[in-house]
Amino acid sequence: MRALFSNDHKSVGLRFLWLALFSVVLGMTLSLVMRAQLSEAGGAYANEDRYAAITLLHGSLMVFFVFTAAPQCGFGYFLVPLQIGAREMALPLLSGVSFWMSAASLVAISISILLPPASGSLLWLLGVTCFCGAMILASLNVTVTVIELRTKGMTLPRLPITVWAWFITAILSLLIFSVLVASSVFLLCDRIAGTQFFGVGTPISAAGIWQRWFWFFAQAEIYVAMLPCFGIVTHLLATYSRKPLWSERMAVLALCTVGLVGFCIWGEHMFASGLNPYTPLVFSMLASSLGVPALLLAACWFGTLWNAKTRYSTAMLFALGFVSLFLSGGLSGIFLARREFAGGNTGDAFVTGHFHLVMGVAATFAILAALFFWFPKVFGRRLNETLGKIHFLLTFCGVYVLFMTMHWIGLFERSFPPGTVVRIHGLSGIVGVATIATVSAQLIFFVNFFWSLLRGESTGAKNPWRATTLEWFVSSPPPSENFNGGVPVVFRGAYELGVPLAGEDFVPQHLAPEQVAKLR
Amino acid sequence: MPGTSVLDDIELIIEDVSGGGRPPAGRDGGDSGGGGSRVPGGRSSARKYAIAISAAMVAILMFFMAMVAAFLVLRHSSPRWAAFQLPVLLWFNTAILLASSATLEVARKRQAAFDDKGFKRFWTVTTVLGVVFVVGQVVAWRELVAQGIHGSASLAVAFFYVFTVAHAVHLFGGICALLYVGLRKFRRSEMTRVAAAEVASYYWHFMDGLWVFLFVLLYFGK
Repeated sequence: MRALFSNDHKSVGLRFLWLALFSVVLGMTLSLVMRAQLSEAGGAYANEDRYAAITLLHGSLMVFFVFTAAPQCGFGYFLVPLQIGAREMALPLLSGVSFWMSAASLVAISISILLPPASGSLLWLLGVTCFCGAMILASLNVTVTVIELRTKGMTLPRLPITVWAWFITAILSLLIFSVLVASSVFLLCDRIAGTQFFGVGTPISAAGIWQRWFWFFAQAEIYVAMLPCFGIVTHLLATYSRKPLWSERMAVLALCTVGLVGFCIWGEHMFASGLNPYTPLVFSMLASSLGVPALLLAACWFGTLWNAKTRYSTAMLFALGFVSLFLSGGLSGIFLARREFAGGNTGDAFVTGHFHLVMGVAATFAILAALFFWFPKVFGRRLNETLGKIHFLLTFCGVYVLFMTMHWIGLFERSFPPGTVVRIHGLSGIVGVATIATVSAQLIFFVNFFWSLLRGESTGAKNPWRATTLEWFVSSPPPSENFNGGVPVVFRGAYELGVPLAGEDFVPQHLAPEQVAKLR
Repeated sequence: MPGTSVLDDIELIIEDVSGGGRPPAGRDGGDSGGGGSRVPGGRSSARKYAIAISAAMVAILMFFMAMVAAFLVLRHSSPRWAAFQLPVLLWFNTAILLASSATLEVARKRQAAFDDKGFKRFWTVTTVLGVVFVVGQVVAWRELVAQGIHGSASLAVAFFYVFTVAHAVHLFGGICALLYVGLRKFRRSEMTRVAAAEVASYYWHFMDGLWVFLFVLLYFGK
């Protein structure tokens, strides 16, 4: 009970992860419901409003509470102070407040679907506004912590790339979410006070409103969600490759560019369209704007993997899966960016397939990679590797079959003139089967998760992955003040891997030059 | 693969930063537990709050700028834009707010000169002026409503309400900060009253400047 209301960064981070886990379960169940509706009606749905509302709930749960909150607030809160050598976040009260606001928002958003459209969408909007507020507070906290609480010797170039990613994401979300709050205020005024900021000139179906509102908010989050994933995956690739991160500076620069480009593109869209949430969207922007920095990051990833003696643990497999999904998703993004997809129909299977692959599944893989990597740190026990690998293989194949087929369906649909109803029974069937297979593969994960949590193999060594960063040199789970009342001193960067030292192949960040000399 | 190695046993070099007057780790007690500073000593905690308030001001500025952008776009494109007379009371309110910034600075000058009584007096005056401003805004809104000018009538009016209400809400936060600095006894805190007053003054002046900007915008833009 005490832990539930504590403002300790580890406790808050953990609670964010539990929140995400709950949302994943709910969100996946909803996607099954959607699939069932689609296959039942053979491609058309019985109750369009209901279907749209379920889509909205599925989307908002996944995007807000899983992809935005889990990497940034879950892992971010837990690890930022540990990795920079601080005892606590800069503003612990804000940690707690941001969590409870997120939780309230989750409740509001989940309930909103049960209400009739008018009041339901109002509640949904309030929930989203609350979530935006929570994220502003959280990113304020992370920004100040990284600027101010870095320990002695932890200069900016020595920061692990994960911290860079969380830091840049925090700054980006500080800017983006405040603009989102502004537009929420306008929307709320329109709904409650009868103002007409968004001159609703064109009549639009309730179903359309549900979907477009969601994308109005979610498009900004794509960048916020992807950035920490980039950081996590880059960190893991370097650690498991046992090689220094290839051109670390460039990776950091690429992350900064993602942030900058993300903000500019989104802001431009926001301002140019006069804050109109009803403009057709937007999916193609991901590919076109992320292209250059994504390429730079990919170069860093492959440069790191080149000639590496890689350890293929489950976390590494998921990180590689992220790279694969991100690149192949990016390829289909090129089509989206090139072709004028007039109307931006969100129901289009090609688009759905594309952004699920890039954003949804790739981000999930990054979160899972992080979970397998830091599980020993968080809980002091390890996830089962065999179960983890089976889970990885099934999920990896499952999502490729599922979303590639969805791409094909989208292409087939496009090759017919608009208006004709095309029903591709065979392919829809494959998608249905793949969905069920992929979702059931997650059961393996849940079994693994809870079994390992309760009776998993205990870590034994402090540092099971032979990583260099500070969090691995305190006990697991970390003690309440992280470093026994003081703060550690850092002498080197986070990626001195592949350096032979005392029978090991890495130099921890906190090892002083004299100590290294002695060990040699 | 995993086994204990020499490297695991090397202890972290821990620097003690607890200093003299740090309160016992109050993790559940709100903002007081965030030690772990890079600079051992008391200076950094004030800096922490200064950075936090600056970041918050950036976020607030983005919030208002997004609305201003919408204002500027819709002013020219919306067919539902009908100009209206701003309440005269706003001039008075603006003067009050500007005066409050001045008294705030006087209070801080007194504080720097170790004149605790003078500080208290002028700090209270500032707080009262802040409250007067908010009350004045409320009166202005009531005046408009009494004239039958509602937000649904015209976008110009709607923007007026949204800007002034949003500003008043943020300013109310500032009043709370003033009260906090004025009433709290900073004996066991990691922060001094001087530092707290400085951080609060950043925010207050920011709110003051923001109001002047919004007022000019509304006056010429309506």
